[in-house]
Amino acid sequence: MCDRAAAREVRFSRSIYRLETIKKAAYRLTDRCSFEFTVDEDHIHCYLFSRDQTSVRADDELEHALRNEVLDQDLRESIALETGPIRNAILAYAFSRTGLQDAEPI
Amino acid sequence: MPSPFKTPAEYETPLALGYRLLPFNFTKLGGSDYVLTNQAGEYVVVDRSVLEQFVTHRLPPDSDAYQAFKSKHFLLDRDSDVAIDLLTLKVRTKLAPLANFTGLHIFVATLRCDHSCPYCQVSRQSDDNVAFDMPLETAEKALEFTFRSPNPAIKIEFQGGEPLLNFDLIRYVVERAEQINRTERRSLQFVIATNLALATDEILAYCKAHDILISTSLDGPRDLHNTNRPRPDRDSYERTINGIARARAILGRDRVSALMTTTRASLSRVRDIIDEYIRQGFSGIFLRPLQPYGFAVKTKSYHSYDVDEWLKFYFEGLEYILSLNREGLFFAEHYAAVILSKMLTPFEPGYVDLRSPAGIGIGAIVYNYDGNVYASDESRMLAEMGDTTFRLGNVHRDTWQDIFTSDALLDPLEETYTGSVPMCAECAFEPFCGADPVFHHATQGDLVGHKPTSVFCRRNMAIFRHLIRLLDRDAETKRILMSWVTS
Repeated sequence: MCDRAAAREVRFSRSIYRLETIKKAAYRLTDRCSFEFTVDEDHIHCYLFSRDQTSVRADDELEHALRNEVLDQDLRESIALETGPIRNAILAYAFSRTGLQDAEPI
Repeated sequence: MPSPFKTPAEYETPLALGYRLLPFNFTKLGGSDYVLTNQAGEYVVVDRSVLEQFVTHRLPPDSDAYQAFKSKHFLLDRDSDVAIDLLTLKVRTKLAPLANFTGLHIFVATLRCDHSCPYCQVSRQSDDNVAFDMPLETAEKALEFTFRSPNPAIKIEFQGGEPLLNFDLIRYVVERAEQINRTERRSLQFVIATNLALATDEILAYCKAHDILISTSLDGPRDLHNTNRPRPDRDSYERTINGIARARAILGRDRVSALMTTTRASLSRVRDIIDEYIRQGFSGIFLRPLQPYGFAVKTKSYHSYDVDEWLKFYFEGLEYILSLNREGLFFAEHYAAVILSKMLTPFEPGYVDLRSPAGIGIGAIVYNYDGNVYASDESRMLAEMGDTTFRLGNVHRDTWQDIFTSDALLDPLEETYTGSVPMCAECAFEPFCGADPVFHHATQGDLVGHKPTSVFCRRNMAIFRHLIRLLDRDAETKRILMSWVTS
């Protein structure tokens, strides 16, 4: 059982970030720690737990890494929002003459 | 009096006034540098501040970065409406091999071997146990399956053990395949993966007559090779070198290639290993880490060094090879060449481990000596350790349709497609990388794998980053790396 007293809490404003964004960023750091999330009216609370049961309360570097990952992830979502339909159209067109989408069984 | 008509500018779309992003991913390269790649694998390196300007549509059109993004189809503006067509064409070219389906058909002629390498990844058997030979009826069925593949280019590779211990089988398969191909009319190629110790002049003459390529193993200079690859007479190196010379004399220099495997003893010897390849007249080397299968795991060889130690070995080797090229010798590192081909051309080199959808089954398939069909060479190595996750069926009991529509093949292909895997889907290196479900299953017990701790991910990301840095280093280094792709 993870002890929240040993965890580091990092807060993100819900008016700026989506929970999905924070989760995707957190996943990238799962080699270093594990995560728990709670959400209230204004904030997403992200709790960082050490993998080896030690405290990460004073681990500033870990918090910086998470915050930077969240920024990158947020930027990725802006790109996906603008380019998603084109990405799919390009893939559909690229496959259009392969015959792989034919209904016939192999 | 103001005009009742709007100005032309007011009718212009936002695109005409600025630019629109085309799909791309980005990943931190190091420091504040980020690498951006589009779906065709073209890349641009910029500072994070430029990336942010670009995404928020604040990048000045007269900046160098804007021109780089424009020329590599990362944006659309009023002057470049062909970008989508060009990008699509490149993506289509990259994906074209998919429609060809399985091209590489591996026949495990026997599991017997005359060597007793502790790092053997196929769990070889002693050389007198014929129960581990492929019978002719099994080969006949496997050939039927081989020619069911629609691929216009069929490569049949004989693996072992030591396949020359069952040379009658090789003769049978080669001649039957040639016979079948008189009506099939595919581009047909044969390769024997052999240690050459048993390659008589008669065997080599047969290879010459049937245009068979030889792929052998050379781990480095005599002492290292003989330590890695023990034989009863401790003469593996002598037999290999002698075999290479005779094979070249009979088949031609370009018909013989060699592969090395990195053991703990190799780690401090990368220059010696490369020098040995040069001494033997090879124009390149494939610096390969051990894989987590077979005796390599049982004898703990695989765990005798970690990924960071191997990367140090690899990068040292790469630097040495570059320095040799600067002195005028053409010599390539083949793994880097595969990746560079993905980075610098619209063509897909078809290297099985670096494909998505994964190359298992649809890039290469293995017909084992006992008739079992495996999704890849590594899959049968895993099976010899008792894990039959990637056994797709058996040539005697199942149909071609059963095998290629089996859950054992389709599930890993679907689940591990990097376009929908956490982290991979958003990784800038995805166009250069692959899924490799067998490796992740073997090392992490999961087809997809946990990417933050994946050795596959760590090794390849480090190589991608390194190669991008090298391409950026200076014009001469870039010219050398490009020569490996174009040669």
